[in-house]
Amino acid sequence: MTAAFVAKYAACSRIAAAQARRERGEVYGRVAFFAVILGVFSSLWRAAADAGLPVAADPKALVWYLAATEWILLSVPPIHVDIQEAIRRGDVVYQLGRPMSYVIAELAAGLGLLAVRAPLLGATAFLCAFAFTGWIPPSSALATVVPFGLVAAALITALHLWIGLLAFWLQDVSPVYWVCQKLMFVLGGLMLPLDLYPDFIQRVAAVTPFPSVLAGPASFVLPAPIVTPGELARNLAIWCGVTAFAVWWVFRRAATALTINGG
Amino acid sequence: MQPAVELNQLSKSFRVRHARGGGVADRVRDLFRRRTETVVAVDRLSFSIAPGERVAFIGPNGAGKSTTLKVLAGILQPDAGDVRVLGLVPSRQRSELAFQIGTVFGQRSQLWYQLPPRDTFELLGRVYEIDRREHRRRIDALSSVFELDTLVDTPVRHLSLGERMRCEIVASLLHSPRMLFLDEPTIGLDVSAKAVIRELLRTESERERVTLLLTSHDTGDMERVCTRVIVIHRGRLLWDGPIAALRRGYLKAKRVTLWSEAEHLELTLPGVRVLSSGAYRTELEVALEITPLGQVVDAALRQAAIRDMAIEDAPLDEVIRALYAHAESRSVPS
Repeated sequence: MTAAFVAKYAACSRIAAAQARRERGEVYGRVAFFAVILGVFSSLWRAAADAGLPVAADPKALVWYLAATEWILLSVPPIHVDIQEAIRRGDVVYQLGRPMSYVIAELAAGLGLLAVRAPLLGATAFLCAFAFTGWIPPSSALATVVPFGLVAAALITALHLWIGLLAFWLQDVSPVYWVCQKLMFVLGGLMLPLDLYPDFIQRVAAVTPFPSVLAGPASFVLPAPIVTPGELARNLAIWCGVTAFAVWWVFRRAATALTINGG
Repeated sequence: MQPAVELNQLSKSFRVRHARGGGVADRVRDLFRRRTETVVAVDRLSFSIAPGERVAFIGPNGAGKSTTLKVLAGILQPDAGDVRVLGLVPSRQRSELAFQIGTVFGQRSQLWYQLPPRDTFELLGRVYEIDRREHRRRIDALSSVFELDTLVDTPVRHLSLGERMRCEIVASLLHSPRMLFLDEPTIGLDVSAKAVIRELLRTESERERVTLLLTSHDTGDMERVCTRVIVIHRGRLLWDGPIAALRRGYLKAKRVTLWSEAEHLELTLPGVRVLSSGAYRTELEVALEITPLGQVVDAALRQAAIRDMAIEDAPLDEVIRALYAHAESRSVPS
């Protein structure tokens, strides 16, 4: 891998990060949404525990769990929308004509956006979760959540890239995005740890990437994480490989479709 | 000398999907098996362009201009024929070729909307692997030529369309391409912005010996920027030659305006059509093959003294319309 190769994709990340810093409105909106969600759910878990309802873990730990899953999910930039718009407007012809890989450039730009969002939303998660619980998980747990959470967010970004590439055929990828997002909410354990789910849902979830990108990293704030760091690293590596193959395959098909069906 | 562009019998077709109809059964059938139709976008097209030439590439909508440009840029693969751009085969050597060509698409943008053009220029410097010092020198030089001044540091969203287009062209020239493909570079611009863009394109192409291939529906772009025109219709070559020759070949009429001492002139000659008639002023279209200009002037002088007279060619638009109409009449089976 040459320095020039790295430099061109790093430049894509840098310019996307610069653009994200200019588009503060959306990030601030996500910060506000995040704070509201955590406020609502911390009240819910407290009320459930006070009412004597069975709660899987300490309500404070559950709020931190939710803070971690939401941090991962909200940090992911909506690059599928950018790709879809570039394909619709035809701006994609500029990118396809450049001496670089279109998909790596898009992923690099997505990671640049992620690099701006993740710290800001991470700080929001930390402050809000602490404010609503008055408790901080052990530093070793947080030190495990952060790197795994960033890798998970990068993997979801690649998944959004895959969804965006479907615009070569679908024009509007929002239905695919919504289905994928809802599956992630349910099978990824966004609100609740997966061990609270019925067995069959847990079995279905186990064969999808969703637990590895949400419940896996977030569960390190719980007293009993659902995976070990080693298992999660292996799972994330496998899903990164699967996603990379899916992105490569879809793009290859898109390039063929472009040349067969026009564009 | 090796041509900048060499196209030999290029053909390109697309498969277009068609819905069967509006009924439920048809829609269900469409889900499993769609009807497709093959549309020929480019049909055995051949031409070559010498280095440094400025060529207008025109045709009606759907003639195959954009498809040809995309094949030349390596974005689409040809079905048949040989294509070489700067000695490279675009479909096989896209990446190498990308370093040597630039593209400007009038209705598309490569600038990052929220950021100043300089940020996009910096990105392109890395993408095209340009030495940093050389790249800065190049940005400064082109900014000066294209009079970008403070625009280069103004967010794109605050630029007018004309200013943005100047920045788009600079972005496409940063890596010193030997060949520039322009697709409708003046679309949507006002008259003065168009004039600026045309002048800059012409002078920059002369100064840096950049070969230009420009598609446009605006004949002003062709006349001010290019010296040669290639016309295609339904994917086939219709005309290839100097713009002046196109006028000569297809211009069968002249516009004549007469300012006379008489309030009205009555000119009823064969091949002469009165376009407008006002007090002391008459505008005519004269079919030269039917009635020579001299006869028209003589007829006018017989009625009144002529104070002034203007003779003009018909606009290039009309020439091109005539060319398309001629092609249509030839392609309609009798």
